[in-house]
Amino acid sequence: MEFTWRRLHRRHLAGNAVMHGTNLSRWTMSYFVVALGALLLGEILMAAGYGFPSAPIRAPETLVLVHVVAIGWLSLLLCGALFQFVPVLIARPLYSDSLPLPTLLFIVAGLAGLVLGFLQRAGTIDSGVPLLPYAAASLTIGFALALWNLGRTLCTVRPLALPARFVAVALVCLAATVALGVVFSLVLGLNIRHGALLKVAGQGLPLHVVAGIGGWLTFAAIGVSYRLLAMFMLSPERDGRRTQAVLWLGTAALAIAILGGLAALLFDKGLHLALLAGGVLGLAALGLYGMDVLHLYRARKRRVIELNSRMAALALISLAAAAIMAVVLIGLGQLSERIGAVVFLLVFGWLSGLGLSQLYKIVAFLTWLECYGPVLGKTATPRVQDLVDEARARKWFVLYYLSVWAATAFLLAPHLLGFRLAVAAMMAATLGLAVHFARSRLLSQVSAQSGLPEGARRPHLLVSIPRPS
Amino acid sequence: MTQTYVDLDVRPILRGGGEPFEKIMKTVEGLRPDQGLRLYATFKPIPLLQVLGAKGFTFDARELDGGDWEVLFRRATAPEPAAQALPATPQDETEWPEPAQHMDNRELDPPEPMVRILAAIEELESGQVLSALLCREPTFLFPELAKRGHAWRGDFEPDGTTYKIFVRVGRRADTSLT
Repeated sequence: MEFTWRRLHRRHLAGNAVMHGTNLSRWTMSYFVVALGALLLGEILMAAGYGFPSAPIRAPETLVLVHVVAIGWLSLLLCGALFQFVPVLIARPLYSDSLPLPTLLFIVAGLAGLVLGFLQRAGTIDSGVPLLPYAAASLTIGFALALWNLGRTLCTVRPLALPARFVAVALVCLAATVALGVVFSLVLGLNIRHGALLKVAGQGLPLHVVAGIGGWLTFAAIGVSYRLLAMFMLSPERDGRRTQAVLWLGTAALAIAILGGLAALLFDKGLHLALLAGGVLGLAALGLYGMDVLHLYRARKRRVIELNSRMAALALISLAAAAIMAVVLIGLGQLSERIGAVVFLLVFGWLSGLGLSQLYKIVAFLTWLECYGPVLGKTATPRVQDLVDEARARKWFVLYYLSVWAATAFLLAPHLLGFRLAVAAMMAATLGLAVHFARSRLLSQVSAQSGLPEGARRPHLLVSIPRPS
Repeated sequence: MTQTYVDLDVRPILRGGGEPFEKIMKTVEGLRPDQGLRLYATFKPIPLLQVLGAKGFTFDARELDGGDWEVLFRRATAPEPAAQALPATPQDETEWPEPAQHMDNRELDPPEPMVRILAAIEELESGQVLSALLCREPTFLFPELAKRGHAWRGDFEPDGTTYKIFVRVGRRADTSLT
């Protein structure tokens, strides 16, 4: 009922052009906890020698690993973050605070089904019922709910702020990724032999990867990074021609690669030309984005920046390194043999590195706001930075990045044992960071020094409880 | 000034899963100047209090036996002097006094601008206005102001980078620790 009223309230006030605030997103912490669990699971699998590079890149075992990381870790992390930060980007409330919970449940159930479906194909489990189509249905419902919620939120504002436009394009790419995944599951799981579907399922895997990692995850991360970096470093917001060019070049790159690639498949042409054209435009967009990021760091008013912004820089360096590596490998004619290393660096250096570095700040900030918000200004409260232990977290971050880069080098070498040891170090670093985030959330850092002031509320690990007005 | 109340019971609509908002607004638009609205709902309709507060209504909400709510809406008699009861709304059309305090929080690290504004407000009297310059729209501040019963107005300056906010301090009773 509250949902209905809030929606009405919003509609009415929007007509009066009233400024909207941002409330705490109730389920964002649950997304973060599940996501970190999935990242750890993925790292354990790799360290144990499960999936790529121990198995071939298209083996079912690799697909288990890839989807645990791409859906369980990165997509849930991003969804949870967007439910909180799209309202900040556009200064409007989230369309529905109730939908994120069913969204999470459908995605997690779908991911579990997907993993079991791949295990069926690997022959690890034996079952007559093909699970992939059910998994695809559950994932489609989950992501459709997320798209509906975020899409309706974005629809309330015209024109959209530039970072939010990146997110809008990313959401379209998420829809494309899911749609391609559904096609694969229908052909693989139900043995559907429709001509066009067969063509897409047969050769469309690169399009699924480009739409997922390039469109959904990277484009959203770029959009959010523009706002977060400016906010935390007190830099002027970037919305000039160069940033517009990043948006348009990037969007064109994705459209050419995905739509052009689909058209090529349907007309029995190879993907080569579409991927090449999209890749060139994408590299140009990344180059301009890199210049924007340098400007954000250089033009900052805050000379001493916090750990999250310093560690985000290492993620951005990983992105640049992955782009350069791809170009060099193309020059050497070795991209297809070494593509795993490029994707690994993008996923763990760039996307995961950025995600972990921002979690460090976001968890502490949201917890601080939830706990001390009611008494701010009325009594002495800890600062956000009192909820974290920067020196301890820095060691885990350094270990994380060093081991990601080492693992990438071992993939290029290639050296299997070295890779597994490096991933084990990544896992240890991730575990250290996860414990650090949990300690922030549970106020372990400040509780030892002082009790909670009267009126403050101790936060729950998984849920943010809205405060009655 | 209000003499009589028009009764509106939206509990059946709410229990049936319907949306009573249009009906409420229609009833409000049909009120004569001397009439108020007596609304019955299944919960305290907080957003509505703000919407009608912005339209110049004051309210008196009480919980009935069984968990339902009765809310009496009255028209405010005239633009109120600043020191009197102020509606807890983010927007109203009355004239605000000159700010009693100015702050420039543009160079502060987040969330320090918000902390300083909330602390400064605690030092001001009910009805006084605080103005502050910020380097972005303070989206996390607005819910805090609303919960404490303060009113605010704000927008970006013509330079497009400085956000100027005015906060008018609400009734002290509304801002106590909850």
